Amino acid sequence: MLSEKKGKTQKTKIIDWSYLFSLFLSIVLALLVGALIMAATGHNPGKAYLALAQGATGCSSIGEFFTSVFTKRQFGNTLEYTMVLTLTGLACVLGARVGIFNVGGEGQLYLGAICSAQVGVILSGMSPWLVIPCAVLVAMAVGGFYAWIPGVLKVKLKVNEVITTIMLNSVAIYFCSFLSNGPWQTTESTRRGGTQTLAGELRFPRLIQGSSLSTAIIGSAVVALLVWYVLSKTTTGYEMKLIGQNSRFSFFSGLKVDTITIWAMVVSGAICGLVGMFEVYGVKGSYQDGISNDFYFDGLLVAMIMRYNPVGIMLMSIFFAFLKVGATGMELIAGVPGELYRIIQAIVIFFMAAEKGISGLVKANVEKSRAKREAKQRLKEETV
Amino acid sequence: MNIFSAGLFKQMLRSATPVALAAMGGLMTEHAGIMNIGMDGMILIGAFVAVSFSYFTGSAAIGVLAAVLVGVLIGLFFALFVVKFKSDEFIIGTALNILAGGATVFLLRAIFNVKGTFQGTADRPLSGLPLINSSFIGNIPVIGGIINGNSLFVYLTWLFVPLVWVFLYRTPYGFWIRAAGENPGALRTAGISPEKMKWISSILCGAFCGFAGAHLSLGNVTMFSEGMSNNRGFIAFACVIFGGANPLKVYLAALIFGFFDALGYRLQEYRISPYLTSMIPYVITVVMMVYVVVRQQRRRIAQKAGE
Amino acid sequence: MNGGIVLQETVVKFDHITMKFPGVLANDDICLDIKKGEIFALVGENGAGKSTLMNVLYGIYEPTGGTVYVKGKKVTSFSPRNAIDMGIGMVHQHFMLVPSFTVAQNIVLSQEPRKIGVLFDSQKAEAAVRNLSNEFGLKVDPSAVVRELSVGLQQRVEILKALYRGSDILILDEPTAILTPQETDELFAMLKKIVREKGMTVIIITHKLYEVMAISDRVGVMRQGRLMGVEETKNVNERILASMMVGREVIHNPFTRTYQPGKVAISVKDLVVNDNRGLKAVKGVSFEVRGGEVLGIAAIEGNGQSELLEAITGLRKIVSGDVMIMDNSIKGKTPGEIRRMGLAHIPEDRIATGVSSQADIADNLLVGKHKSQEFTRFGFHMRKSAVTKYAQDIFKRYDIRAAGINTRVGILSGGNMQKVVIAREFSFETPVLIISQPTRGLDIGAIEFIHSHIMEKRNKGCAILLCSADLDEVLRLSDRIITIYEGKITGEFMADEITREQIGYYMTGDRSREDVNDAV
Repeated sequence: MLSEKKGKTQKTKIIDWSYLFSLFLSIVLALLVGALIMAATGHNPGKAYLALAQGATGCSSIGEFFTSVFTKRQFGNTLEYTMVLTLTGLACVLGARVGIFNVGGEGQLYLGAICSAQVGVILSGMSPWLVIPCAVLVAMAVGGFYAWIPGVLKVKLKVNEVITTIMLNSVAIYFCSFLSNGPWQTTESTRRGGTQTLAGELRFPRLIQGSSLSTAIIGSAVVALLVWYVLSKTTTGYEMKLIGQNSRFSFFSGLKVDTITIWAMVVSGAICGLVGMFEVYGVKGSYQDGISNDFYFDGLLVAMIMRYNPVGIMLMSIFFAFLKVGATGMELIAGVPGELYRIIQAIVIFFMAAEKGISGLVKANVEKSRAKREAKQRLKEETV
Repeated sequence: MNIFSAGLFKQMLRSATPVALAAMGGLMTEHAGIMNIGMDGMILIGAFVAVSFSYFTGSAAIGVLAAVLVGVLIGLFFALFVVKFKSDEFIIGTALNILAGGATVFLLRAIFNVKGTFQGTADRPLSGLPLINSSFIGNIPVIGGIINGNSLFVYLTWLFVPLVWVFLYRTPYGFWIRAAGENPGALRTAGISPEKMKWISSILCGAFCGFAGAHLSLGNVTMFSEGMSNNRGFIAFACVIFGGANPLKVYLAALIFGFFDALGYRLQEYRISPYLTSMIPYVITVVMMVYVVVRQQRRRIAQKAGE
Repeated sequence: MNGGIVLQETVVKFDHITMKFPGVLANDDICLDIKKGEIFALVGENGAGKSTLMNVLYGIYEPTGGTVYVKGKKVTSFSPRNAIDMGIGMVHQHFMLVPSFTVAQNIVLSQEPRKIGVLFDSQKAEAAVRNLSNEFGLKVDPSAVVRELSVGLQQRVEILKALYRGSDILILDEPTAILTPQETDELFAMLKKIVREKGMTVIIITHKLYEVMAISDRVGVMRQGRLMGVEETKNVNERILASMMVGREVIHNPFTRTYQPGKVAISVKDLVVNDNRGLKAVKGVSFEVRGGEVLGIAAIEGNGQSELLEAITGLRKIVSGDVMIMDNSIKGKTPGEIRRMGLAHIPEDRIATGVSSQADIADNLLVGKHKSQEFTRFGFHMRKSAVTKYAQDIFKRYDIRAAGINTRVGILSGGNMQKVVIAREFSFETPVLIISQPTRGLDIGAIEFIHSHIMEKRNKGCAILLCSADLDEVLRLSDRIITIYEGKITGEFMADEITREQIGYYMTGDRSREDVNDAV
């Protein structure tokens, strides 16, 4: 399941320029295809993409961008979503690094969100310095535990984690709906469903008014850096890398394969739970159904496209956040259905896969004809 | 009111059928050695195509046919990437699911100018698939009420399942598909290309999934709603695993899923939260998956002990 | 064959065949004629290009250069189907059988007899198999499921599969690698018979020289992709062939040694271990290895020695009995815990178990000591500079041929990859070393290098358990030798008190053989 670097690279490169180039090309082509689709359905692609940029930055000109973009709420949304993608993408990488695929991040996120929200409700009135850390711990514990289940099933019983995690997602989401429309439902008359709105002092202060960007982004950045550090600079990251590459070899060499694999899943789930908590305490102020609009799924896509490289994920998150936040602007201003961004996402993936496949075939052919020519040449030389 | 009424079992058949049909396709690719998790997207596209063509031509039959043909195209597309380009089947499957989700919603707006669900327009209602009623069958005691009066698809599935079994286990073509997955070298050195078999299995899977999607939107209800595949593709995949890619056992797995799905609906009438009842099928699927693996391992241990 | 001066017709002609893969010239300008009705042996070390050449003949590869003629006709399209149509059949080293299918299904695969055009006619198929079976004297049960057959029977099915398609040119790739000596005798008798009675041509690929002498009419020697020469078998012997294979007379210089074993370091008592199918592979084995000695295990592949070593190193569960490493019981312990008792292990399969192919040389050298003070700060932060220095040092000392320490291990040659494994495992300076097939597939230079390092460890007082399919290697390195057959120890000897032939006798465990010295 993990994409490996193909045999052409002899060394383990730091930056794979040819890959970045094909990624860039795929994105450009995907945007072109998007333009074609829009034109075919009666929209103006130019206007639409402009609207996309507007929807993501809140600015309608380059000048405005450079002067006041940081005051725009749309840009705040874009920044906030970048961090969401980065965290969920890194959560995915933690699992992928050891060869286990956590597709259940959505469910872990939901459970983390609702449990941490309810903590704030139960402990309301107490000091934020007590409540917030509790909420964080609860979110991570719940998310981690929910990821532990499929992790253990995979490691001890060899049950395919893809199906179990997808199923558990639905279980979690339905269960959260049950709670938020049932025993944990808010009593506020202005709302239907969802948990009690949290007191203002418990929530992260906004950085850009009107946007979803809050000081939670600092926490996100800290977590992201921590994950990057562990993966690239520590012995744990080293062991995880080897386990994902060859688990038999790792076991043979004395690494605690099972333990590390399960812990990777748990931490992955914990991070997803944390994202849920940030969403409740930093953006929405309470848990509501649909609190995550495929957040983890988007992060998974970014991780896949960037081949589970942490730095690449952080950079690519910007682009995808731009795309998703801008898509709502595209719909409002230019009337193009926001789902186009999903289509563009998929097309990027297909173009990249096609490019990889075609270049592989071409290379094989070129190699074959070259070898043929050489053989003919040698034969000529010998028979002369 | 008896919860285990005939209505429950009829709902079981209704719920099980799209999953079973998709699973028939899924086990083709599984035998050929391809893990196709894009079935959900294939089903969704099939559902959309069926509704669209049924609407524009006024004939549900054409809708179904179109869904199958588009399914074949998608199968070709999938094989192009997974077999020819040697792409990672997980990535392609996931991308297919995303594309299906985005494209169906996009087209729903672009073509029908509708958000959420489409049920045909006032001047042109959607024609769905007929229920088949036979008083003769209906009078059979106990099971008559269940077997009678179902959508055509339910009966077709009863035809397909044994056909697929015969195809896989009694015809050379089935052997070749199974060999392609089990030991491609054996097939290749016998003179047949395993790649060709993978293409064929992919096409068959696409056709079955398109067919399943058509049942979902024209046979079960008569409408298309966003995301209506509702993870059926993954459940179908779980059924394939649970049934060991044997059509008969896979159908049984689909029936089990359908039963719990129907049970969930019924329990709602007993004032159990719909959210909790919706959880049931998914929990069952996870239990099924675990059960399969544990049973396999128990067998292995028993083998060791008994010698 | 019969000594008469008959101009035999050429049935297969390789005309300047070249086969190039990325980075490897597998076949280099090969010109070879195979005569009708002969048994032709193609020999060479691992990697010499013999299998590749035959895969070209069978159409699996299209040659980069040159032409192939079969029965006088030029081959224009390369595919197994065309090869089959031209009458070529191939029995591969790794069986091309579908485990869940029956014998009949496998044999008729792709040419299945049918009922009503689409259904499989199993009765016709089984009848056809029975006829074929009788015609060639190869008894099999057509309705048996292949997965449950013994290795020897599976090979019979492979052969019948080739014969079913009407092939009269039969290629066998290392057919005796996994057969018992009895099964080998039966195979050779059958081959001789079908050549005599059916006028078939047989090409047999092997690296076992005594087999070449036993069965072939002519033999061709390949080395590093080139055909070194073709001779009538009656004009050569093993020594000549060996020197053609390696380019010089293979003289194994014996190591000078003094035998002063120390304390018991490895103690195996009544060990019982199961194989992957749950059947007993090791059936109650006991032995000891002391410090400063090499105990060599001589056994034919598939007699339980792999499972034995896996159990000792913690890669496989012990069913009953125990193993003590430095007086510590290993029962129920993980490989990591066993290593800490003082054991290091050169595994049998270096690619699957010995390295991580996707990681670079530095990473592969570091495993096992990556948490030590030398390479980390506070035990978790890795110090890249220290790692780099260490890796470069090893790189030079072991003379690893690669671009640098950041080269991916997966692209290294077998010899260099093995050097990485040995460098790492030996660097742990453990009192116990378990070494399995250390020089499989390696060239002479690498073999010498590795042998001298093993002797160095022995002389420093390590207790070494060595397992190898190469009898010469076992004889050269071991102080004591035990032979294993079907999971039991059949003999225990001092290395300087036994001959190659006698070891072979004990490796087969067959006491009823009278003239054991006839074989060679």
